[in-house]
Amino acid sequence: MKQLKTRNFCIIAHIDHGKSTLADRLIQLTGAMKSDKIIEQMMDSMELERERGITIKAKAIRLSYQAKDGITYELNLIDTPGHVDFAYEVSRTLAACEGAILVIDATQGIQAQTISNVYFAMDHNLEIIPVINKIDLPSSETEKVLEEIESVLGYKSEEVLQISAKTGQGVPELLESIINKIPPPKGDVNRPLRALIFDSHYDSYMGVVAYISVYDGSIRKGDKLLLMGQGTELEVVSIGYFDPKFCPADELLAGDIGYIATGLKSVGECRVGDTITSLENGAKEPLIGYKTAKPVVFTGIYTTQPEDHGQLREAIEKLSLNDASFSYEPENSPVLGNGYRCGFLGLLHMDIVQERLEREFDLSLIVTVPGVKLIVTRTDGSQSMVVNPSDLPEPTELLKIEEPWVKISVITPSTFIGPIMELVTQSEGIYKHTEYIGHSHSPDALGQRVRLEYEIPLRSMLTTFYDQLKSRSKGYASLDHEVIGYRETKLIKLDILVNGVMVDAFSRVVPPDKAHEIGKSMVEKLKEVIPTQLFKVPLQASIGSRIIARADISARRKDVLAKCYGGDITRKRKLLEKQKEGKKKMRNIGKVEVPKDAFMSVLKMER
Amino acid sequence: MSDIKAIYIHVPFCRRRCKYCSFISYQSRESDIPAYIDAVKNEFSLRSGNSIINTVYFGGGTPSLLAAPQISSLTSAMKDNFNLANDCEITMEANPGTIDLNYLSEVKAAGINRLSIGIQSFNDEELSMLGRIHTAKDALNAIKDAREAAFDNLNIDLIYGLPGQSVDNWKDSLVKAVEVNPDHMSLYPLTLEPEEPLFKEIESRVLPEISADTAAIQYELAEQLLEKHGYIHYEISNWAKPGKECLHNLVYWQGGEYLGIGVAAHSYIVNRRSANTADLSQYIESSSHNSLPPQEVDETITPETEIAESIILGLRLCNGIDTKDFKKRFNIDIMKRYGRQIEELINFGLIENDENGIRLSPRGRLLGNEVFWRFLPDKL
Ligand SMILES: Nc1nc2c(ncn2[C@@H]2O[C@H](COP(=O)(O)OP(=O)(O)O)[C@@H](O)[C@H]2O)c(=O)[nH]1
Ligand code: SF4
Ligand SMILES: [Mg+2]
Repeated sequence: MKQLKTRNFCIIAHIDHGKSTLADRLIQLTGAMKSDKIIEQMMDSMELERERGITIKAKAIRLSYQAKDGITYELNLIDTPGHVDFAYEVSRTLAACEGAILVIDATQGIQAQTISNVYFAMDHNLEIIPVINKIDLPSSETEKVLEEIESVLGYKSEEVLQISAKTGQGVPELLESIINKIPPPKGDVNRPLRALIFDSHYDSYMGVVAYISVYDGSIRKGDKLLLMGQGTELEVVSIGYFDPKFCPADELLAGDIGYIATGLKSVGECRVGDTITSLENGAKEPLIGYKTAKPVVFTGIYTTQPEDHGQLREAIEKLSLNDASFSYEPENSPVLGNGYRCGFLGLLHMDIVQERLEREFDLSLIVTVPGVKLIVTRTDGSQSMVVNPSDLPEPTELLKIEEPWVKISVITPSTFIGPIMELVTQSEGIYKHTEYIGHSHSPDALGQRVRLEYEIPLRSMLTTFYDQLKSRSKGYASLDHEVIGYRETKLIKLDILVNGVMVDAFSRVVPPDKAHEIGKSMVEKLKEVIPTQLFKVPLQASIGSRIIARADISARRKDVLAKCYGGDITRKRKLLEKQKEGKKKMRNIGKVEVPKDAFMSVLKMER
Repeated sequence: MSDIKAIYIHVPFCRRRCKYCSFISYQSRESDIPAYIDAVKNEFSLRSGNSIINTVYFGGGTPSLLAAPQISSLTSAMKDNFNLANDCEITMEANPGTIDLNYLSEVKAAGINRLSIGIQSFNDEELSMLGRIHTAKDALNAIKDAREAAFDNLNIDLIYGLPGQSVDNWKDSLVKAVEVNPDHMSLYPLTLEPEEPLFKEIESRVLPEISADTAAIQYELAEQLLEKHGYIHYEISNWAKPGKECLHNLVYWQGGEYLGIGVAAHSYIVNRRSANTADLSQYIESSSHNSLPPQEVDETITPETEIAESIILGLRLCNGIDTKDFKKRFNIDIMKRYGRQIEELINFGLIENDENGIRLSPRGRLLGNEVFWRFLPDKL
């Protein structure tokens, strides 16, 4: 039976430990394609992914592998996103597999996301194959990492494979181990159809293409199907698998991984994590509970030039066809005009969407200070969600604010516990737990490595938390986080006035006892990033009508007066053309030209 | 039809490069001068023409590195190939470290009737910071010699806005300048490019940063002081005694056509701006094949760009732009076409207008770029 000769698996790893490189090597060593066609990092296909070296969307590929037992197996490899913002997608991907290769960098050892990935895999009862990667590097510390794996994850040295994804060393043994350890899919082709959507994307020719793992039953072209969670009905327009290009096939059977083109118009109708069954005589129970990934970070997005608003609307609509996890709602700012309040899974997700909007749609955007979603209770007892600081009620009408908290886990050499603890305290966090884990990648002078657990408001992670964690630990600490729920808090709205005009795009909610300090550093930072104008510009921070900090940008007295003779005219004109182009990246606020980067820069303040 | 009125000849040699220099000039290549002179003469003959030439300008680099007979051979070669007006202004730039009375008398005899001396400062510390090859005393001697050699049209260049230069330091140089009473003065703010040694010294904090505010005060001081001594401020960076304005530079600012000869020289002829190669060897080499030098810039100035340039250059002149002249030249009512920009700039206090036209205000002269970019055409 074909199913017995199938293995569905994924690779999980902390970022940069070698997931994509290993995927390439597996592709090269099996029958998927000729090696001369391998371009580095085959599976990271979006241009942006390649540039940033991270995998954003999961992809799948079917490999054909002849094992030592003489049998040819079909391996389905699913690449998972490598960043916590996309933890939800990772967990859906895992649900589509029976096994996972856990990659750990021989020079870095266990890192925060190594552990969270292992927990995810265990939740889904996956067979885990632990692997130490990059053993070709002179700085590798295989022995220490083995010890660590045993003490933290409980795998004995002899269970752990040692490989170099780069040179291919140890990868043939890994392939055998995939065959021997990971069980074949357990579903039944004769039962009613159940298939899990683990990824989807929008294609202008085929409509939404869903990446699926077929658990029970089978699918053919033309079948009428139902998404159990969302209730969407659809007809299979085409069907196939990936090699890694789309490769049409007649059918997908229980145990197969492949795609169906649905003709649907937006990925929002065909969300990751939903179970597909037949429209008639379908299954009763979904494979896993269906829920949607909820945005947790919110920001206003506007065009630098107000007249480009229409283009922004089009771009956001198009992009959302392909990204069901970002939300948007029109909003109006007294200063910036028409824009959108957008929700994201995290800061990286926000960066990616902004960059795609600017790059793929040639827009110049202003992104306002990111914030969290607050639950606000008014004195009259009514409750509402607030994602825009401007919507915070007046203090007299306010009974209670609740904000989201996250659990963070940090792995670091013990020397840095003090500075990290200090950072967490400054960030309004609380300490929970310490666990000693081992010695790898940590010169003895820095002490044993520890895993620290804290809880902090998500709001505190939206500023320089990560950068500071890295700098306070000299780059050693790694971080993972997970939202754990809402807690009551005291917050007030801090406003910024530029030349006397209140700029809602700079407004933030902050704890009352920090308002002065934050207001002061915001106006100082703005003083640096807003260029001098033709007149003096006061910058003020205020709470309600009370000014709490002020800095002035002095008027510009002189620009370049340089000579301008025959040989200078063309060059001079080009400089002026550049200056004129630069104005397009500025937003005029109360007669002041504010560069678009100013809006984000206020968050990148030293504290 | 071309109507060239001005010829520029570039002399790309210097004894030693100054630390702020952004000109095309070579040091340690003086042995190439004879070959260069031949190449320049060759370019004269390749580009010869018969429109009447009102101004000629030997710029550099350091034209005064050429021997007097070499200058003389160039002026006569020019007369063979072009139709120089009888009262043609012929300027030559000179470095105080390279000239004496004898030399100046000889170049005067060779036809040079206007001398532009690169003094830069009357303060020896500033001169050595700039990497100049001469002292303040050399400069005073040069001016004295020039007068003795009967130059009655004399310009000096000075630089302000130097790192660490106080307003008083600048005033000292200015006072010395008016004492020697040149006919014309060009005052430039120091501007630096990242590859220049002085830029690096500031970046590495060997020298203090340049203060734009101080430079603005220095500029305003110069405006007052020179006016008091009878100089007319006629262009952003230029002052002259009445009737001593530089005709050559006026051609640039008034949008006239000019022919550039030599390494890196720019020409503007029938709506085309072009520039010879900046590579000395390449320039000499191409001449040896009797062909024109390769062009480094070659752009067609569209009517839209021409209008923008003429406004930008015209506003550099203190008289500004005359509405009627503009209308005559482009058949455009400037007040209508640029009504929005002009109103905005008047509100900012950067330009002034009256029934004759528009001009930069005193403040606008300091913030010219903020004015100029507004007149550029929108990109297509
Ligand atoms: N020397 C060496 N470098 C490796 C190996 N595996 C991955 N790398 C490098 O480590 C970096 C991160 O690898 P990548 O596959 O992008 O990691 P991912 O973020 O987990 O997908 C890249 O520069 C790879 O070239 C290995 O086995 N040996
Ligand atoms: S003399 Fe003039 S051209 Fe020569 S190096 Fe000095 S600044 Fe440059
Ligand atoms: Mg990757």
